[in-house]
Formats: sequence, structure tokens, C-alpha cells
Amino acid sequence: MLFTDVQDAVRADKVLKKAGYSVKLVAPPPKLRKGCDLALEINLVEQPGIERLLEKTDVAYVNVAPIETGTAELLEIVKVTDFGNWMMVKAGNMKLAFDKRSGVIVNTSGGGCPDIPHFHSELVGMLLTQAPRPVDMGFTLCALMLDLALEECLTLYQGGKQS
Amino acid sequence: MMLVAGTVPIKDLPLTMGKSKAEGEFLVVNDRSIPAAQGTGAMISAALATTNYLKLEAPHVLLAGDIGHGNGSREIYEYLIQRVADISPQVLALHYCLPDMVLMRRLCKCIQGCPRQPLMVADAGPMYAAKAAGLAPHFDIFTPDATEMAFLADPKATHPAYIARHLFSAETDQTPKLVAMAHRHKGTSRLLLVKGPIDYVIGNGEILDTIAEPVIPALEAIGGTGDTITGMISAFAYAELELHEAAIIAAKANRMAGRFARATPATRVWHIISQLPAVFKEYLCQWSGVCYMEGERP
Repeated sequence: MLFTDVQDAVRADKVLKKAGYSVKLVAPPPKLRKGCDLALEINLVEQPGIERLLEKTDVAYVNVAPIETGTAELLEIVKVTDFGNWMMVKAGNMKLAFDKRSGVIVNTSGGGCPDIPHFHSELVGMLLTQAPRPVDMGFTLCALMLDLALEECLTLYQGGKQS
Repeated sequence: MMLVAGTVPIKDLPLTMGKSKAEGEFLVVNDRSIPAAQGTGAMISAALATTNYLKLEAPHVLLAGDIGHGNGSREIYEYLIQRVADISPQVLALHYCLPDMVLMRRLCKCIQGCPRQPLMVADAGPMYAAKAAGLAPHFDIFTPDATEMAFLADPKATHPAYIARHLFSAETDQTPKLVAMAHRHKGTSRLLLVKGPIDYVIGNGEILDTIAEPVIPALEAIGGTGDTITGMISAFAYAELELHEAAIIAAKANRMAGRFARATPATRVWHIISQLPAVFKEYLCQWSGVCYMEGERP
């Protein structure tokens, strides 16, 4: 399933997963890629129901095309670095660091898309638990990676508080 | 002239072209103040600190507000496509913009037709677009970090979010292997500065030098410390240093500024940038052979 922008693909992913569909964010087929775009892998058998749900929830998509070879999966692994008082999580090309005691985001780094400096100014200084989610505000794959890092930071921080 | 083009996270900033100057923690371009924070702001600020120290003309900048929609990015690409031949910069450094392969192809085509070829530097989105469009060899300098190096090495990836899992896992300790892969697939510029725990300076696929001292691990966490390296390497190249020399000095100066700033993961990039004049004063002569008395042009 192809989309005009990353934000629509992310919204579709959320809506469809909430409704119980098994879908996956992937790179668009090579011939259709622009560089910073995203597609959704769906089971073609479920196409009618999926299209109906997206129309009902006002999520715009361009079309549905059978999958081609070379369609890449989105990277979903993270790396953690412990700096003593601070912890840094790296997801793809994005990094987020927080204060282990207070849960305050102290820095974000990496990335190359224009929403990333915007997130830097919005997120630095905020509590992890109160920070807006890049996946909700962002437009690009870098935002998606930053959100993955934020999610892992939240898990580490909340897990650390419990132990 | 050295021209830096990139977006800044100021939603209402129209396309702006002008000479930059520094005012405390801000850059000023045509009376607009732009924070020297992660992204194009940090890059220009570091370039400006370098040109100021070397008593060279300050960088000209082409900026547009963009918080991710891509409108400002497209305005920058279109402006350059229309005007780059007339502007004819000696150095053209492209920074934070939405990666767009179609616009990057058009821009590279225009630059190929310019009477004088600028020295081409790319980082961030334009580097992603150039590699994804198969245009990396058109560029003189890329400044990837270790993950972005894995992206350059993966012939199928069009964005670092899609690099193959085994390359992401390998990235930090296998830079030489990734460099060789990237070179084989024509995913590299003429010179690469790969930023990481060890900085690698690569020329035509060969490791020319490595920089590992001083060790300041916190720099990786600080947003903008890769941008500062790109700013410095662009400015040193504008000062007509050999590209590998420009890369080595930029990498050393960044690390040393981190030491001067006593950097922690909570340090802001401006604090690093503000150390650069002191770093240059103490080390530039030793590193580069560019030695002169204060107040004199080298």
C-alpha cells in the first residue's frame, strides 16, 4: 500500500494494527522510491476490508500494488549506551539521551530529515513521560526512528524506576 | 564564495539568501536570528567560527524554514537548480533537507553543466538522496556517521532506516569493511569522513588516516556535533586545504572542543562551538602548518 507521505503510512499502520490486521511498514518498491518514503505491507486478501477501514478513518493512500522483490523491511533494532548518569538509545540513524534519575531528555542527535532539528528543540528538556511522540508529530523516516528510540528510553526509564 | 544550503526548524522562515554572522548563540542572516542548534544552524556556526578565525569571507547561506513537510527543502533545491550556475560558489555544502532523489538528480545535472564546478559537500538528507539516486561519486565530501556508513554500504537502501540488519549490527567496529563495500557499489564521495569512536578519513576507498584522540564518548549523544564537523571541513576546504587535511583537522578540532567544553551527554552543541576559537588558537598551527600571529591573515 503506497502513500504520498510518511505520516499517512504511519497513521494507516496504527489504525490497521488497532483493528487487528497484521501489517508491516516497509520501503516502497524500488521503482517508486523517492528516498524518504514508506509503504505498508498488507495481505492482498485483506485489501477490501483494509481499504474500507482507511476510507472510514480518513487515512489517504495512493494505491495498492503487488509486492516486488527488493522491498526492504524497516530497521527495528536498537542499541543502548550507558553513560553513568545518562543513557543513550540508538535506533537506526537516530539517538536520544536521557538523565537516568530525572527522566529528562537531555539530547537528541543523528538524522538527516528536516523534522529532526525541530524535534531537538521540542524534546530536549522534557520528561520522557510527557514528551510528544515523534511518530505523531513527524513526517519522515528519521522521525519514526527517533520515536523508536524514545519508546525504548521510556521502557528503560520505567523499568529502572521499578527495580 | 562558500555557500551552505539547508533547512532550519523555523516554520515561517521564507527562502532566505545572505551572508551569515554570529551573535552569541545565534546566527543572523538578513536580520533573522537562527539558533546555533542541531542541524544547519550548528553547521553554519562551526563554519563561521572557522572562517572568522582564518579571516576569510563568512559563509553565504541559503535557508528555508521546514519542520518536515518538505516545502522549504523543495524551495532550496529549486532555487539552486535555477541559480547555481550564476552564483558559482567555490564550495557548495548541502545540509538538512528532505531527501528527494528526483530533485537531487536535477541539481547534479545543473551542476555538471556549470562553467566552474563547485566543490560539493553533503551531509544529512542530501547525502541520503545523493547515495540513493546513485549520485554519490558526483560529490567531493560526505560526512556520514557509523550508521550512515552502513547505509552507504548497502546498495539497496534508500534511507538509513532501511539498512540491512547485519550492516547495522556491524557498523561501529567494521567501518573499513563497510567503506570497501560502499566504494565497490559506488556509494561514496571522493573523500569520506566517517564520524565515530574512531574517525576515518577515506580517499577513493582507501583509509588515509584515523583520529581517535582525545576520546570523548559523550559527543555521540550531543545533537549537532556531526554538523559542526561538516561545517569545519567545508570551511577548511574553502580555505584551500587539501581535502584529507581539512577532514583530519575538522575531526581533531571537534574532539578537542568536546574536551575543552568538558562535554557530557547533556551538553548543548553551542557550548562545543564556542570552544573552537580557543582550540584553533592552541592547535591549528601544530595540526596544519597554518601559523600566524593574532590579527594577521595566514
